[in-house]
Amino acid sequence: MCDHNHNDPNHVCTCSDNPLVPQVCKVIKITAETPDVKTFRIQTLDGKKPFAPMPGQLAMISLLGVGEAMFSITAQGEDWIESSIKRTGMLTDALHEMTEGQTIAVRGPYGNHFPVDDCKGKDILFIGGGIGLAPVRSFIRYAIEHREDYGHLDVLYGSRSSADLVFKDDLFENWPKVEDLDVHLTIDRPEEGWNGSVAFVPAFLEQKAFDPAGKKVVLCGPPIMIKFCLQSLLKMGFSKENVITTLEMRMKCGIGKCGRCNIGSKYVCLDGPVFTMSELDELPDEK
Amino acid sequence: MINEIKNACLKAFESGEVGYIIGWQATRFADKTTPLFMRSAEDVEKLVWNKYCVNSTAKYALEDKYPEKKIGIILRGCDSRAVARMISDKQLKRENLYLIGVVCDGKEDPICATCSHKTPVIYDVLIGQPTTEEISPERFAEVEKIAAMTPDERYNYWAVQYDKCIRCYACRNVCPACNCVECYADQYRTGWQGKAHNRAENQVYGLTRAYHVGDRCIECGQCERVCPMNLPIMSQTRKMLKDINDLFGPTECGLTIEEAPVLGEYDLNDREEFM
Amino acid sequence: MLLPKEKLSEALGALAAEANVIAPVKWEGDVFFMPYKGGDVCLEGNGKLPPKDVLFPKTEKMYSYSIAKGTMTEHNDAAATILFGVRSCDAASIERLDKVFLEQGYKDGFYSAKREGLAVIAMGCDKPMATCFCTSMGIDPMKAEVADVQMCPVEGGFTVEAVTEKGKEIVKKWDSLLDKKSKAKPAKVECSLNINVPEDFEKKLMDMFESPIWDDVTKACLGCACCTYVCPTCYCFDINQDVHGDEGTAFRCWDSCMFSDYTRMAGGHNPRPSKKERLRNRYLHKLAYYKDRHGKYLCVGCGRCIANCPAHLDITAFAEKAMEVE
Repeated sequence: MCDHNHNDPNHVCTCSDNPLVPQVCKVIKITAETPDVKTFRIQTLDGKKPFAPMPGQLAMISLLGVGEAMFSITAQGEDWIESSIKRTGMLTDALHEMTEGQTIAVRGPYGNHFPVDDCKGKDILFIGGGIGLAPVRSFIRYAIEHREDYGHLDVLYGSRSSADLVFKDDLFENWPKVEDLDVHLTIDRPEEGWNGSVAFVPAFLEQKAFDPAGKKVVLCGPPIMIKFCLQSLLKMGFSKENVITTLEMRMKCGIGKCGRCNIGSKYVCLDGPVFTMSELDELPDEK
Repeated sequence: MINEIKNACLKAFESGEVGYIIGWQATRFADKTTPLFMRSAEDVEKLVWNKYCVNSTAKYALEDKYPEKKIGIILRGCDSRAVARMISDKQLKRENLYLIGVVCDGKEDPICATCSHKTPVIYDVLIGQPTTEEISPERFAEVEKIAAMTPDERYNYWAVQYDKCIRCYACRNVCPACNCVECYADQYRTGWQGKAHNRAENQVYGLTRAYHVGDRCIECGQCERVCPMNLPIMSQTRKMLKDINDLFGPTECGLTIEEAPVLGEYDLNDREEFM
Repeated sequence: MLLPKEKLSEALGALAAEANVIAPVKWEGDVFFMPYKGGDVCLEGNGKLPPKDVLFPKTEKMYSYSIAKGTMTEHNDAAATILFGVRSCDAASIERLDKVFLEQGYKDGFYSAKREGLAVIAMGCDKPMATCFCTSMGIDPMKAEVADVQMCPVEGGFTVEAVTEKGKEIVKKWDSLLDKKSKAKPAKVECSLNINVPEDFEKKLMDMFESPIWDDVTKACLGCACCTYVCPTCYCFDINQDVHGDEGTAFRCWDSCMFSDYTRMAGGHNPRPSKKERLRNRYLHKLAYYKDRHGKYLCVGCGRCIANCPAHLDITAFAEKAMEVE
């Protein structure tokens, strides 16, 4: 019996009774996205989807014998979920050494999700920087799957270099084919063979001068990028209620008990990771 | 004496060289004082000097390694040795400190009974009459008591102590010899110190701490004073000091500001029967 | 009903014959909640540590796994336990922990198994310590919040009142020991340490996040975890693995928000980089954040943090200072 607080009526959960005990799964596909980001496709040992997350939700992924950490779920299929993980520490180093077929343990899904209902009937501007596109991708895929529910979609994404762009298949092949969806790419420094934009994401965003009317923004990336993008968006006339982002904090339990991911009286694992910029204004500055 | 200390503080502020002075202030409990950080002459009236001034004032200076003005510290004998320890360990700079030494009258702390340096060993100004100092005959009494146990008794004795230990790390945080920028025990991701609370992990911590500070221990007894579970922590470092005394001659630490740790220095005359 | 003082050991013995009884006993010079093995209990003082490890052990195994076999085995064996001699402060802390571990959308399986098997025999407190301030936190020293049986010290023994069904079962076992005619009533008790916590104090504190007061009230802190580990309501934990080759065990253990590693992220960024941010978070969690979420303070006024703080920091002194801030 699962008593998770997933608000979605379609939510199917295969978690153990005890939310702190993970299920053993296997990695069925590993994709190298960039030199330091890999995407791991995960499935239960009997070939099922571990659980059905909503866009923006999190999974606690553990490499048995090494450790456990929280990652956003970037995509899901009929019988799998995917997380894209950047190499930053001990656990992620070990994850990057994995080969397809190895076991991995997962529990979740955790946290709230992108406001897919609030955004219905609206245009959406998705902005990502670096690995920040990983959580955003779950919503982009959802919006494409429910294409009729949403208006015009823009994906504005930037990275240090073309090699550091994640999800290249989506960026160059899949998404440009989607009706009424524009992909805008930029890289930080000029490089040979790159004919696209060279600019930091906030500057690129200002060049594009989006019209705030009827538009929601989903913004994820490094804190400094978020800060300057928000300034640009406010200049364009977007209001903070319509700018949505995700937060990252150290987590151990994922269910609002172990204490460490609080900002004020909110737990990022439970009340987040998705917040609007106006909600963040209400929280203490301790991120 | 309190007036003399207050006057020394006022003078220090008047000189304009001192940014703040660390001393003690009263709490709502008659038998407890807490560290006071005086930022100007107005704060000086809060200063107290009584038998409950048990907190060490010295280590707070480590939080301010590049002070704009000098850090003033009111020092008892043990606090002065703590300062000497941290200067010897290259953690503090003498020129950044203004030291108001006070000859200590002994505080409400059992450890003061075996104090051998009531008069500060370094200071810029000294308050009180220097006393004749001698090493207490009780200095190694606890060590000898434990040494007299049979191996099984001794094992059980420490087992009980480390069953009690809650690994709050108060003994580490208060210790002037524990001045690593990042303690091995905080580097959980390296796996040096397991995080579980059990006897084995507690003993790993206890042993590592003792060995790490044993040849630099100034015998201030703060580790025992702060231990909420009343572990006889200083008997471990005093055991090392006793061995050092036996092997290398009379040794006390933190008496000068240019002191190499005994086990961090090699002398041609050192015993080397292990070679 | 009255349990005569001289019958107390017999009463506890009767319970211990059938269940795991945890009671305050003298050990190593202090009072600890420990398995009762006969003899005298010690009802003086609050006890060095609260009994929270009965529900939230310092270290507990969660599950074992085998990488090669792909197996996962949960460890969750909780025995029926009777907790005796809990003062109102510690009893209130169980109610506060219940809200964290049993509510908020997820029921913590390890805690709930132990909680369901727990019966609480509360003991009224007629001798608050100098550092006690439970009455300021809205707690009645003679009436505990989660008691199954409420006992109170009176002349010649203890009043006994079964509060819940579980409590009635316990009192039934004492039938032959009780003086049923006794009309003894416990005296009213006030702590000597009182602070006047104003209404909506948590709202004021939440607005004080950027106040310069934090530099001042955290300066003497040593940054150790003493206050959090002696606190009956601190519940932070860590999850780690013990690995032996191909097999391993995941365990959770007490952790402290006062440690540098607690919030440090894999990339090195730490949202609470120094003792100032950490102690601020602790004070605010006790007096503001928890109340904002659950409607009560996470401080029950047991005073252990005051009694044990190496630097003699005092949360009530902090609260009074915060009240004075304009």
